[in-house]
Amino acid sequence: MSHLKDKYCIVGVGETEYSRGSNRSTRALAVEAVRKAILDAGLKASDVDGMLDYQGGDSTLAPHVAPDLGIRLNFYMDVMGGGSSTEALVGLAMGAIEAGMCKTVAIYRSMNGYSEFRIGGTGARAAQPVRGLDLAQVPFGMRSAGQNFALTFMRHMYDYGTTSEQVAHVKVAHSKHASNNPKALLKERVTVQDVVNSRWIVKPLHLLDCCLETDNATCIIVTSAERARNCKQRPVYIMGVAGRVSKPRLDFHWAHGPISRVAGYYARDIVFGQAGISPDDVHVTGSYDAFTFTTMLQLEEYGFCKKGEGGAYVSSGIIELGGKRPNNTSGGHLCEGYTHGMSMVIENVRQLRGAIDDSCPDGKHTYDYKQGGCRQVRDAEITMNLGWAMPPLGSALIMRR
Amino acid sequence: MPQPVSYRGMTLVVPDNDSEWNEYFALARQHKLMLRACQACGLMRYPPTHACPWCMELGWRWQEVGGKGTIHSYEIVAHAIQPGFKDATPYAIVLVELDEQRATPTPDEALRIIGNLVKPDFTFEDEKNVAIGKRVKVAFQDVADHFALPQFTLTDEPAAGRVWRL
Repeated sequence: MSHLKDKYCIVGVGETEYSRGSNRSTRALAVEAVRKAILDAGLKASDVDGMLDYQGGDSTLAPHVAPDLGIRLNFYMDVMGGGSSTEALVGLAMGAIEAGMCKTVAIYRSMNGYSEFRIGGTGARAAQPVRGLDLAQVPFGMRSAGQNFALTFMRHMYDYGTTSEQVAHVKVAHSKHASNNPKALLKERVTVQDVVNSRWIVKPLHLLDCCLETDNATCIIVTSAERARNCKQRPVYIMGVAGRVSKPRLDFHWAHGPISRVAGYYARDIVFGQAGISPDDVHVTGSYDAFTFTTMLQLEEYGFCKKGEGGAYVSSGIIELGGKRPNNTSGGHLCEGYTHGMSMVIENVRQLRGAIDDSCPDGKHTYDYKQGGCRQVRDAEITMNLGWAMPPLGSALIMRR
Repeated sequence: MPQPVSYRGMTLVVPDNDSEWNEYFALARQHKLMLRACQACGLMRYPPTHACPWCMELGWRWQEVGGKGTIHSYEIVAHAIQPGFKDATPYAIVLVELDEQRATPTPDEALRIIGNLVKPDFTFEDEKNVAIGKRVKVAFQDVADHFALPQFTLTDEPAAGRVWRL
């Protein structure tokens, strides 16, 4: 077990509205999310002296966000990256505090992912010249995330007999969860038939296998367990973290097979080893759902089922609210909105607090998961986030109440 | 610096100091599929890189391969992102496993290359003909005086192992 297990906490969370047209700058969005997280923790601007953010040349950096809120920084870093960054930066925040560089770190992601810089390579990114490693794939019409990942998904279907209908259950489950989430961009429940009858984007991905490009900002605040006890919310303890663990040949991961294997294969021993638990001990998962397949691939790679049985696992009902181990109770990237992973950590923090922001009156949870109802998991004690950047790159985070 | 290459609305840039790709695409224009081979252990690698990923040796030489292989995975793009591909859908992207150096130096390694599955005239192959396990060979699509794209066409050879398509 890690000597840092349970010594750091997430004490504050905050997010803006999820929209497809914020009509605001990423600076404005970030300031709102960071401020909300600080207030959620019951802290003041002067209590926060560290800042981490991640972006892909599409956002506002910490030197502009911190001073807007009157925060003087003892440590900050603007990191390149998208998915899998949240969990990795939680680990870096712990390290920065452990090293004595700062005391409390705000981690944010701010993006106009629909209205300004679209992830798929359209919009502002479409006109860029093709050079360097991109020459190995972009000239062949392979540029978007879906196009980048589809070879992995298709090979998984070949290797293990995984079906479109099986992975469609990921979207179905997350849509049920989103229907109980007032913040969610898509609150309509969908069926397996809705998913497999939606138009093809890139086989094997249908439209409804793909997440929602979204405008939003999100923030979490990390500090020591000692300081966390004086914060406003029930502390959520960090048991283990693995950050940006990669397969061999991160530049061209198809060179090293099996290509249906994803980075969780290498991350699982790190994160479970730190936490001193096994998959059976986890009550709620947050498996990054850039696509239905990504959730499935990670759940099997981290050992929630046997390798190759992910299709059966995600279609068994286990991952739904009311099931044995619900996944992405907010609706995730497929239904709540696309945040590059932060929102799924926020959701699990709220699960562990017992304070999910559903439609239950006055925080009295009914545990009735019908449409428009509750999405609090009863007695959630341990959660796990499985962060995805691409097939060969991922992160993980285990938390407890 | 050579002129940028215009292809399907994209600008492909391979400057003289592109130590990875410049010679690779110039050789492709001569219709040779050449990979870098380690001068110490002899193993080839793709894409072109500057050290051997197995023995860290810096020295390398170009080595020609036969260009034949098997479709290891594929995808069919129905909704194109790049404007120059909008009129080409549905088109197939294939991951081809070359015949040389399969499962070497570990069972998980292979020389795999991404391209489009095309007909001999370089229009895209019909979707119904695309499947994992089918045999293919490289076909060089001349795009500029100094630049050709290695693409793949189907061959008459019997499939390698199980053939499957979605």
